Amino acid sequence: MNKLAKVFVIAEHMGAMQELVSGAAQLGESTALVWAGDKGQAVGADTVYYLGELNNDRILEHYAPSIINLVKTEQPNLVLVESSRKGRLMAGTLAAALGTSVLADATEIIIDNGVVTKRMVYGGAALSSERSSAPTTVATVSPGVFETAAAGKAANLVEVPFVAPATSVKCRERKTKAGESVNLRAAKRIVAVGRGFTAPEELKLAEQLAAAIGAEVGCTRPIAEEEKWMDKARYIGVSGVMAKPELYIGIGISGQVQHMVGVSSARTIVAINSDKNALIFKQCDYGIVGDLKNVLPALLAQLGK
Amino acid sequence: MKIVACVKAVPEEQDIAIKSDKTLDLSKAELKVGQYDLNAVEAAVQLQEATGSEEPILVTVGSTKGLKNSKLQKAMLSRGAGALFGVADDSLDSIDAFATAKNLAAAISKIGGVELVICGEGSGDIYSQQVGPILGQLLGFANLNAVSRITLMGDKLEVERTLENEIEVLEVTLPAVLSVTTDINKARIPGLKEILAAGKKPTTLWGAADLEMTKEGNIEVISTLAPPETQRQQMVFEGDSEENIAQLLDNLRKVL
Repeated sequence: MNKLAKVFVIAEHMGAMQELVSGAAQLGESTALVWAGDKGQAVGADTVYYLGELNNDRILEHYAPSIINLVKTEQPNLVLVESSRKGRLMAGTLAAALGTSVLADATEIIIDNGVVTKRMVYGGAALSSERSSAPTTVATVSPGVFETAAAGKAANLVEVPFVAPATSVKCRERKTKAGESVNLRAAKRIVAVGRGFTAPEELKLAEQLAAAIGAEVGCTRPIAEEEKWMDKARYIGVSGVMAKPELYIGIGISGQVQHMVGVSSARTIVAINSDKNALIFKQCDYGIVGDLKNVLPALLAQLGK
Repeated sequence: MKIVACVKAVPEEQDIAIKSDKTLDLSKAELKVGQYDLNAVEAAVQLQEATGSEEPILVTVGSTKGLKNSKLQKAMLSRGAGALFGVADDSLDSIDAFATAKNLAAAISKIGGVELVICGEGSGDIYSQQVGPILGQLLGFANLNAVSRITLMGDKLEVERTLENEIEVLEVTLPAVLSVTTDINKARIPGLKEILAAGKKPTTLWGAADLEMTKEGNIEVISTLAPPETQRQQMVFEGDSEENIAQLLDNLRKVL
């Protein structure tokens, strides 16, 4: 594959940073990481452009003008940005300053007469292939597109001069999010629940099944966002977690594309639903048309042995 | 405070058909208000109700044909906003996030005096989550996404952002562009009375003669195709008899 001359990475979390730095090395002759926060964590690229500390006085957003200045000066061909919330904001801000758009949420990136990415559109109903031929392309990259390279090389560290923002956003407080931390994206087995569960007490059945087979519990958007029975981190789908389990068991889940796209790469899909016309039965390997209150206890009785 | 909420007309996803060559057929899909935009409109209306200021203004960008649809206009205006401004041209049907934001910025500047712009998390169809962030930078306003709470504090806003692992509480000086999360509020469902009243609210569509229109972006869409289908066994047992559950279990054990 053709390589670009210069590829930059903007990331805020270690895992994504390592993936993107490795991706930058695949796509570019020279690589640079633009980093704020713990200086010691910034490794792997040819150059580290260090922005400064992260604290209540300086959040990543305050460095936007510094980053814009740096990118306009250095003119990389491509800037890979972590697809976190802050990453998305930075990507849009930078692209706007460069007079271009963002190749958003890339699930694949190649160099072919410009930068070509694939991404999901229409709630997962389609994959769109998009090309940017801007002098500097900005792309946000989905997790798992690049594998982390083994060892990080020592980088040439450059301190980036601070350019003060023209607008005023003051950070009063940063607090750790209440709720659990669960990484469904890394789960090998997932038991997911949907609207077929009519009361929160019934979720125990799914939790027990998950425990019996060493699975994580996931859910559909309505269970997390409307019923609020589960943490948002457990919601699978186009605007939630895109998972890659080996085994997915969907219980009381109709099989709408917006959810299924989040597990469509699962090796095996099992469906339990009382509606025999549920869409999920067309997308499963094994399924049973039945009441989850009958099926789950029976499965548990056997799997528990 | 003059508040704008941005909305986009998107095709009803349930009615998007897939043709034999894997391209999409949108011809049977009616236009509706993007689902994430409903939270933006609701946030704008709630803020207006709390401050007693004028009704929020909706701004949209799209094809003339789509935006002239009165059912769509009513769907947009029946949720508490006072007026609708659209940048309309048939070339604007599938422009990129940058071009969309340029047109929104042109409209917002033409409206004048706007202090707060609220966008949804992403559009209901393309969902790149970039129009808000790009718009904020183009307007030179304070610019935040992932906003899960907005409270007016004197002439400033207190804004909460829900990030991956943490919550940020920020003090924002106006003017600002805020992109809100889907759980910032529960959007109201308009009744018949609101839908009828929406038909009487002013709608203005601006064309290339009225403002500086951006008709082309710089992202080229090469193709939009339904993803390849994974072949599945589709071995489905009908009924939750002991025998069927035992069969399901046998198959499940093979993959455990």
